[in-house]
Amino acid sequence: MSDSAGNPKVKLPATIAMLVAGVFMILPFLWMISTSFQTPSEVFVRWLPSRLDWSNHVRIWTGSYSFVSYYLNSLKVSVIGTIGAVFMSSLAAYGFARIEFKGRDALFLVYLSMMMIPPQVIFVPKFILFNWMHIYNTHWALILPGMFSIFGVFMLRQFFMGVPKEITESAFIDGAGHFKIFSRLNLPLAKPALATFAIIDFSWQWNDYENALVFLTSPKLYTIPLGLQNFILENNVDYNGMMAAASAAILPMIAIFLIGQKYIIQGISSSAVKG
Amino acid sequence: MRGKRWWTPALAVALSAVLLTGCGSNGNTGDAQPGTAGASSGKPAQKVKLKLWGAVPAEAGPQAVVDAWNAENPDVEVEYVRYVNDDAGNLKLDTALMTGQDADLYFSYVLSRLQKRVDAGVAADLTARTDYDIDGQMGPDAAQWKINGKYYGVPTKKNMSFIWLNKNMLDEAGLPVPPLDWTWPDLEQYAAKLTKPGVYGFLQHEASFTAAIDGTIAGLGVTKADGTSNFDNPLWKQWLQINHDMMYKDKSTPEYGEQLTSKMPVDTMFLKGEAAMLNAGEFIFRNANNLKDYPHDFKIAFATIPRISADQQNYKYAGGVGDMLSVNAKSKNQEAAWKFVKWYADGGMLPMASGGRIPSSKSVDSAKAIDLLLKGVEDKYDRESLDNVVFGKFESFQLDIPQQVIDARKEEYEKYFLNKQDLDTTLKNMADRHNKLLQQK
Amino acid sequence: MGYAFILPNMLGILLFFILPALFSFGLMFTDYQFSNPNVSFTGLDNFRRLFHDEQFYGAIRHTAIFLLSVPVSLVLAFATALVLNRSVYLKGLLRGMFFLPYVSSGVAVAFVWMLLFQPTNGPINEILRGIGVASPPGWFADPDTAMYAIDVVQIWFMLGYNMIIYLAALQEISPEQLEAARIDGARTRTITWRIVWPLVSPTTFLLLVTGLIMTMKSFALIQAITQGGPGSSTTILSLYVYKTAFSYYEMGYASTISWFLFAVIMAVTVVQWIGQKRWVHY
Repeated sequence: MSDSAGNPKVKLPATIAMLVAGVFMILPFLWMISTSFQTPSEVFVRWLPSRLDWSNHVRIWTGSYSFVSYYLNSLKVSVIGTIGAVFMSSLAAYGFARIEFKGRDALFLVYLSMMMIPPQVIFVPKFILFNWMHIYNTHWALILPGMFSIFGVFMLRQFFMGVPKEITESAFIDGAGHFKIFSRLNLPLAKPALATFAIIDFSWQWNDYENALVFLTSPKLYTIPLGLQNFILENNVDYNGMMAAASAAILPMIAIFLIGQKYIIQGISSSAVKG
Repeated sequence: MRGKRWWTPALAVALSAVLLTGCGSNGNTGDAQPGTAGASSGKPAQKVKLKLWGAVPAEAGPQAVVDAWNAENPDVEVEYVRYVNDDAGNLKLDTALMTGQDADLYFSYVLSRLQKRVDAGVAADLTARTDYDIDGQMGPDAAQWKINGKYYGVPTKKNMSFIWLNKNMLDEAGLPVPPLDWTWPDLEQYAAKLTKPGVYGFLQHEASFTAAIDGTIAGLGVTKADGTSNFDNPLWKQWLQINHDMMYKDKSTPEYGEQLTSKMPVDTMFLKGEAAMLNAGEFIFRNANNLKDYPHDFKIAFATIPRISADQQNYKYAGGVGDMLSVNAKSKNQEAAWKFVKWYADGGMLPMASGGRIPSSKSVDSAKAIDLLLKGVEDKYDRESLDNVVFGKFESFQLDIPQQVIDARKEEYEKYFLNKQDLDTTLKNMADRHNKLLQQK
Repeated sequence: MGYAFILPNMLGILLFFILPALFSFGLMFTDYQFSNPNVSFTGLDNFRRLFHDEQFYGAIRHTAIFLLSVPVSLVLAFATALVLNRSVYLKGLLRGMFFLPYVSSGVAVAFVWMLLFQPTNGPINEILRGIGVASPPGWFADPDTAMYAIDVVQIWFMLGYNMIIYLAALQEISPEQLEAARIDGARTRTITWRIVWPLVSPTTFLLLVTGLIMTMKSFALIQAITQGGPGSSTTILSLYVYKTAFSYYEMGYASTISWFLFAVIMAVTVVQWIGQKRWVHY
């Protein structure tokens, strides 16, 4: 790998091969876009629309669907939830990775075990809890639980543990406290990991259907995954409208990915940490 | 990448703007939960707000219905909330019902779901209401919806399942519109004769696929006299065999695997002239009447979903009445909700007729509903068979089998239709698994 | 001191995960039906039923096949991440393309794969026939192969997700380490397996543990493609729990199956946790 970096004789064929594989990866995405420009009688029959029919894209933004409101709701929930999750998880991850205390590993296993509970069986208890907390049918029912990600703690813990101990130990000797080491040293070093977690967590929150389904009942609070349900009619599906909405829903994901992956590239490999 | 850096701050600004407006509106979310305590205590100034939950998309009629109500009743405002009638959607409704304030009125579409709601104590007993005679208004079929001898809702519409026929293809093949008492062997012959390159003789919508076998046990009894499963009865065997033959021998209907994997949009295929007959319900009307998106120039005729054999006794036709409208027993506005139920059943629901929902109440002039249904497309239907089949009177049933049993049955017949299991084993397994579930009760 | 870092997070986990979980644990011993106020204590009845439930045993088999996708996807993702890390042009675009399946609409994913795997005229079987396979499998239309076809889709789906986490891990490796190895005359393959692979082992451990957990829990993709069929050939445990809870309304029994599922995942995780000392280098 590394010896091939910058060598066009390797890079060019590799790029072409990956592009071919990449097209295979985005086939469903292409189908989404194509279907969004088709008429109902063309769905499942043709790969490409006979002519570009913009009406599906027009009607999801105007008329009875109010996708503008779904979009704003989704942005609100996902952005606050993701920021909260990155903050909360990195803090706890540092605690688990870098601070010795009694029962640390056991506590961490308890954390992990909570990841293993099938979400279906805790819907009802969660519903009772949210009702009692008066957050049922508010966005907080999505945002608050969204801020606590066990996966985030686990992932960032693994990355913090990968940071050479010498770096933090020398800072200790210089008299820095844990919080200072965390915020000045570990966080900047873990930029690629933080960006990656943010991308993944955002995609989960953005696409979260089940929690939104159970905990939001007022249409004006609906997020995009609930909005997409509008296209499931009684005994058939309005695929054209659904795919128009789904392609629009994927755009913020692509934006977040492009922003985030810049930070993935700018890892320590470019800024080269020396002890 | 490099040149695109400008939009990072731009996006950040946009996001924070969204957050600010988002947080601003968050204070209002409390509005979504109307009337905390004491809201209903007879103060005329207080406006009652009701939430009505149903599975029909708002733009397919319900919005027009509640708009009309709200215009007539300034003191009671109804808001329509749509749920998708699948497991997830029903879970959403069931949780909302438990709060007592997020759902006042709701529709159930199958008996098993209503039963659970009655068990949960979220369906008000409407038998106690003396100012509306449900039996008298809705006819004898309504009683199929009784639970423990009581009405926990009002069945508001006529349910209809039947075979849609491309009359032009029938004419070409020299076949008459089938009689009302035709049978599956007849249908098999029709399908074979109507099949030609590019055209299937017969297609089935998933929602109506089991109508014939359901109608059979509705007459025979789900269990035998000794209490064991009746799923191995010879009529089912015959039906399974006929369907298998149509798939693999006559090739007049798609092979089962083909149907599963190509996600065949059967209604679209029928309306495009790629199938001569379609087993489905009244919900096809919405697309069939939409000549812009589903253009077609043939006439549509109708036939009953046939009996399995000519000497079959006590066969019941899929139909009766449906769209059970219930009042949440936990709602704080029982009277207003009940008033809406009566209004809806006795004509308020007419805007839904163009989508195929014909009111079952005798207070509604059915000619008016039929006119709404056929407005502008009268020439696309064979009126005689429409009157006889769609608006005919048949002995009907409501399926009263738990979902678990329905799923087990499906798993077994799928194996048969995919040639993974022979016919006798299939019948035996269906009965065995049914018996096992019966014992658990 | 450690608690100060963990405490805020722990409160949330306690409230939103542990509390509801305990409630569900209690349900195991009841015949609780969703929203029905009449609950009775049934002791171990649910467990007895579990051990005689053939659908349950089938679901375990299907889940085991489903889990095969985890290691395969990991290895492919590692290879992809290596290539997309340095040795291609258009890095941003290519990474985006590989990540896209993970955020695409399930309906679109289901449709496209149904089409690719179409038994009679789908491209995959066309190719198989082209290379001389007389009767290629029926894939989603055959109960014997449907679960493996699901595996293929799952591998494809998880590839981008595993890839970007590997990419993040690769950034932590300082170029000096690799440079030094190369000067010593090590070949690319040696560097990859002797230096890079051990260095990303904490990530591999993370992806293996979470991958197994998430795969055991996930059924959205299966729901979109086969709904558990044909027959019950793709009904994995989590889907069976879902149906039991929300289609059959048997919350108590669903809890029992879930806690069994939980015990299995827990056992697998603890084994991995103990085993990590052998191959994970922090």
